[in-house]
Amino acid sequence: MTKESRISIYFFAPAGIFMLIFLFFPVALLVRDSFFEIDMIAQGRGTFVGLSHYIDAIRSERFIGATTNTIIYVVVAVGFELILGLFFALLLNTAFKGHGIVRTIMLAPLMIAPLVTGLIWKFMLNNQFGIVNKLLYDFNITSSRHAIQWLSDERFALLSTIIADIWLTTPFMMLVLLAGLQGISPTLYESSQIDGANKIQTFLYVTLPSLFPVMIVAVLIRTVDAARTFDIVWVLTQGGPSNSSEVLSTYMYKTLTRYGQVGESSAMAVIFIILLLAVSSYFLIAMFKANKK
Amino acid sequence: MIRPNAEVSNENTLGRLFKKNNKTIIGIFTTVLALLFISPYIYIVLTSIKPSSDAISPSPTFFPRELSLENYVTIFNQMPIVKYFFNSFITASISTILAVFLGSLAAYGLSRFSSKTGNIFLLLTLCVRMIPMISIAIPMYIIINGMGLIDTRIALIITYTAINVPFAIWLMIGFFNNVPKEFDEAARIDGCNIFTAFIKVILPVSLPGLATAAIFCFMLAWNDFLFALLLTSTNAKTATVGISEFLTAYNLDLGPMTAAAVSFSLPVMVFSILVQRYIVSGMTLGAVKE
Repeated sequence: MTKESRISIYFFAPAGIFMLIFLFFPVALLVRDSFFEIDMIAQGRGTFVGLSHYIDAIRSERFIGATTNTIIYVVVAVGFELILGLFFALLLNTAFKGHGIVRTIMLAPLMIAPLVTGLIWKFMLNNQFGIVNKLLYDFNITSSRHAIQWLSDERFALLSTIIADIWLTTPFMMLVLLAGLQGISPTLYESSQIDGANKIQTFLYVTLPSLFPVMIVAVLIRTVDAARTFDIVWVLTQGGPSNSSEVLSTYMYKTLTRYGQVGESSAMAVIFIILLLAVSSYFLIAMFKANKK
Repeated sequence: MIRPNAEVSNENTLGRLFKKNNKTIIGIFTTVLALLFISPYIYIVLTSIKPSSDAISPSPTFFPRELSLENYVTIFNQMPIVKYFFNSFITASISTILAVFLGSLAAYGLSRFSSKTGNIFLLLTLCVRMIPMISIAIPMYIIINGMGLIDTRIALIITYTAINVPFAIWLMIGFFNNVPKEFDEAARIDGCNIFTAFIKVILPVSLPGLATAAIFCFMLAWNDFLFALLLTSTNAKTATVGISEFLTAYNLDLGPMTAAAVSFSLPVMVFSILVQRYIVSGMTLGAVKE
């Protein structure tokens, strides 16, 4: 071992040991537990059951339902966030007078807890006292004050959680895309002007392609975060009514705490990790290709 | 790598779609949209200073008809909210200090001296970011339970530190890579050893990076709900779990709930506006290359 790498290890060791014990070991334990039937109270080692928890999970309707809901949640939320974020980023990038203040206003929710976001929307979407239903009624969109039972109607529960997510994280999307827009070299715009491109052509052939790598990273970060959403869904609906807004995180939480099924929830968590790693490596490959161009 | 300033006016895209005098129109349009966007939060703040009964009125109004601190009085009477805030603050602060300390040491090692073991760890560290929180929460619950640490602040401190260390490493490497190696060499010539050079020279010039890492670590812990819900019950209960208990099936506590939500988030909001520069640099890092 060279002297250099030994010094590197000295610096890395404290963090490395900490992560080994409290991060990598838990993940290893998770994988181990997924193959065992474990009794929480007996605290024993459990009995080896092989892949049966995995097979049960894949076969169970609730797990498939929660996975489907998670996918819907991610696709719809991240899709809208991307469009809204891009829209706001383009507007702010025009550098109108006072754009700094407007940017600060937009960025204010950045650090709000997902839990608080859930509470805000729980209050606004409340079936009896919510202001959203009142506004819909006042603007003659709905015929009654209680027309939409946002949180207790199976058709709207998942949508409600998605709305809260979009509200919370559009500022992040806007921020990253705005930084991306400002990084586009002005010479690209000049040359497209010389080539006689109109505004829409410039946007389609200069702005969007230049922004593409940034977009992929932003979408990747948001996809991973949205997939592991827990707080918002827990506060708004707890996955209900009749599992219509159940996502993977809430389902696993219930499997662990309400039913005490360590093995089952561990197996689902492993499947979840594999799914997320697969999706993110797909994104990373796409980004790598985009950078090559 | 860091691009915190939007003040660098760089007109393009939409800016070119409109002529200059149309900028005012875009400005007004965007301002109105931004205010609409933030209005849910303003609504919660305004509701918290209405009389409690207004929060459960069948015809809610945006602006208060009458001001009252009733909701705030209720939260103090109804639960040991100060204790919950104290728990949140202590666990978030200590875990932040630990994570930033361990993280920057490791990041410096990785940034200055290459080694295979280190690189493997770095790769694993990046993978951790892709792991859903619930997947760490499940085994963590088993481990903490086994150690007999359920419902202690130590359990939360350990958990938050573990989650934040990879993030701190990842962030600090970026900052250390930007510090020229000549700084280390100069310090060594002046008689420092590697460790004192790191403490006395490298850390001070990386203060913006440390601040960014600290802000993000603190916010993750402060905002956490899942781990606190899973690992605490009474003694170590944090503010997020306490606030969530205002949600009852009968909606009776909606008024106090808004007050609790505001007490928890308004300081954060003000703080995040003050340190926006660091937050912006932390969030755009990795996504936007220089």
